[in-house]
Amino acid sequence: MSTRWYPIYQRGNPQLRIFLPNFWMKLVRPFPQQQPNIVHFQCSMEMTKSDIRNYLEKIYNIPIIDVRSRIITGKFKKDIGKGYVTKEDDIKYAFVTLPKNMKFEFPNIFEKKKGDLEDNVKSLEETKKTFKQYLERNKDRSDIPSWFSI
Amino acid sequence: MLALRGQRILSKPKLLALRKYAQVALPEENEYTDTPVYPDIQDASLQARKLRERESVYANIRNLNTVEEKQIGLNMPRYYGWPCVQFKEDHIMYNAMPLVQYYTRTYFKTTDKLPEHYNQFSEIASSIVNEIKSLIEDCIVIENEGLKRNPLTDESKEGLQQKEDSLSKNIVRQINRIIINNIADKVPHILSSQVDYDPKHEAFWFMGGTDVPAKVVNWRKQFAWLKDRLHEPIDRPIQYTGSPILTIRNHLPLKPFIPYNEAENPEFKVEKFTYVPESVGYGVTFRHGTNIPGFWPGDLDEFGLLSYHKRGHILKRNEHFGTLDNLEALHCQAMKASFGWLLAQANYQGFTTYNDITYPLTTQTVITNGHLISFYAYQLNTITMNRDKIENNPKHNICFGTKPFLLYEKLENGKVMGLNEDVLKMLVQFYLNAPEEREHELKPYLGKEEQVIADIEDDNKRCWLESRYKHLMSNTPRHNLLPEVYHWEKIYKIQHKTRFFEAKRRPFELGINPFKRRLDDHLPSYIPKVLRPYPRSKKKFETTYYPKV
Repeated sequence: MSTRWYPIYQRGNPQLRIFLPNFWMKLVRPFPQQQPNIVHFQCSMEMTKSDIRNYLEKIYNIPIIDVRSRIITGKFKKDIGKGYVTKEDDIKYAFVTLPKNMKFEFPNIFEKKKGDLEDNVKSLEETKKTFKQYLERNKDRSDIPSWFSI
Repeated sequence: MLALRGQRILSKPKLLALRKYAQVALPEENEYTDTPVYPDIQDASLQARKLRERESVYANIRNLNTVEEKQIGLNMPRYYGWPCVQFKEDHIMYNAMPLVQYYTRTYFKTTDKLPEHYNQFSEIASSIVNEIKSLIEDCIVIENEGLKRNPLTDESKEGLQQKEDSLSKNIVRQINRIIINNIADKVPHILSSQVDYDPKHEAFWFMGGTDVPAKVVNWRKQFAWLKDRLHEPIDRPIQYTGSPILTIRNHLPLKPFIPYNEAENPEFKVEKFTYVPESVGYGVTFRHGTNIPGFWPGDLDEFGLLSYHKRGHILKRNEHFGTLDNLEALHCQAMKASFGWLLAQANYQGFTTYNDITYPLTTQTVITNGHLISFYAYQLNTITMNRDKIENNPKHNICFGTKPFLLYEKLENGKVMGLNEDVLKMLVQFYLNAPEEREHELKPYLGKEEQVIADIEDDNKRCWLESRYKHLMSNTPRHNLLPEVYHWEKIYKIQHKTRFFEAKRRPFELGINPFKRRLDDHLPSYIPKVLRPYPRSKKKFETTYYPKV
């Protein structure tokens, strides 16, 4: 099942063995807006609908009503510099339906706190000040690199 | 000098033609009024102009004379059909009730018995049930055990569905026959009614007030001028398709269950469901919008009384959905089927999804598999749900529904055990509900002389419209399919302009959107030279009679 390599052989027992499947699921923010009992995942390409159901039911104890999955073509992009067209990998999406009385809200991972902006402004000011000090200190030796100092 | 010379050269008719801005002096002397009368000031914003455009389309469709022309008019903007949300009678997704209620604008009320309206038939119904009881028992036994059938089905979910549907079809036909035979001489309306077996029911309407699909938002993102209008609402075309086991229809409509002004009661308000239908599992296909209530326009019996539906699709559903959702699925099926049938009937009365009905229509729906049976009474109060009307339309449709009852306990030794007479009585009460003549006009938006195209006197126009209408309603694929965009073109020509030096010949390079092609955007049929009128006619193509919408 696993394509991961065993760790390098070491003499003696017990041996390290890895039996992890290649299965993974990544929670993604749905677009467009979905019903509150529908959750979107990206998952590994090998997973079937039954795998997805088992993964969520057996590992995370989530009651699952229905699973729909589809493979979405990766984006075509132009290589910067070379100019030829390249393609990103395809992604398998799983649309999981929970019981209708359950609600899932996508977590706000990068939550902005109240004082965040002021802190950022403060640290920017600090950096500007130190840079000015540095310029002031080295104004009569402009052709010498910054590391060349006592 | 030059101007003078010019004037002399021009002949008199030409001069007349050139004087575009010249005005004839008013013959009336009284051209002034005491108070100035100005034309209405119209809002010149883009949204207002678009709204006026749409409203003129609604008015044009309303002003068309015949039913069929109105139906063609609904389809005029799309040559390859509308991207319709597929609302199938027997395909109900998990937790579809809020969507179905919102899309049919139906307030659903669960009851244990029929609405009060039916109490008046209670006594007659009891006596009829006593008369037909034994016949019904016999028919159930014979259909279940007395007949040997060779169903070509397996034990898969689809196989079970087919088996149940075929059995219920036979039982329903027998039960209908027994009841009709018994009551035909007791109530007058049964004899004048028609029975349809396996009719085709289709209905088409526009739904506003939903989220804009991601595809449309992404399309709008590529244009700078649409930046503020990414989520501007659009209409979703919805197409219902269904096929009941049997329907009964009459030339008179049923009485409404509740008065028409009750339809605006805020109690019946339906919760909004704005999520895209794809998120519930309802897919989209391109097809022409069709409204077919099981017969063609011009049939005299154009009001439905009763329809029987199968419930085999419940067996096919995912077992994780649970019994509660299966019950809701039945309610959804009833709402879809009743709304769909009534909407199609309303279309035959000259109303469309753009022009609301002016009186309520009602129908009775039975969902059964020959053993379980549930009853629904539906009153249609409104059919306009498009984006201009949905927000300020106070009317709602109403559906009364029961849970599935057991028609009998079980079958034992070739006998029916415990036939539920109350349930049978309810069914008979549906038959006894007599249609009635209405005091108001039924077809206010149809012409006085011409109501269907069969009334048109001009032979060419009538034949052309007839064949065009039937062809459109058949939804057969176009002879010339949509121009295909090959995958390599999508990558190298559309997404990345790597072949800009090539001649631009493909439709997408010429800025042609095939989906926006209008229905009349084609060459009319050619008249061969020998068939052209004698002595000489330069008319190469036949006239088309598309409605001006």
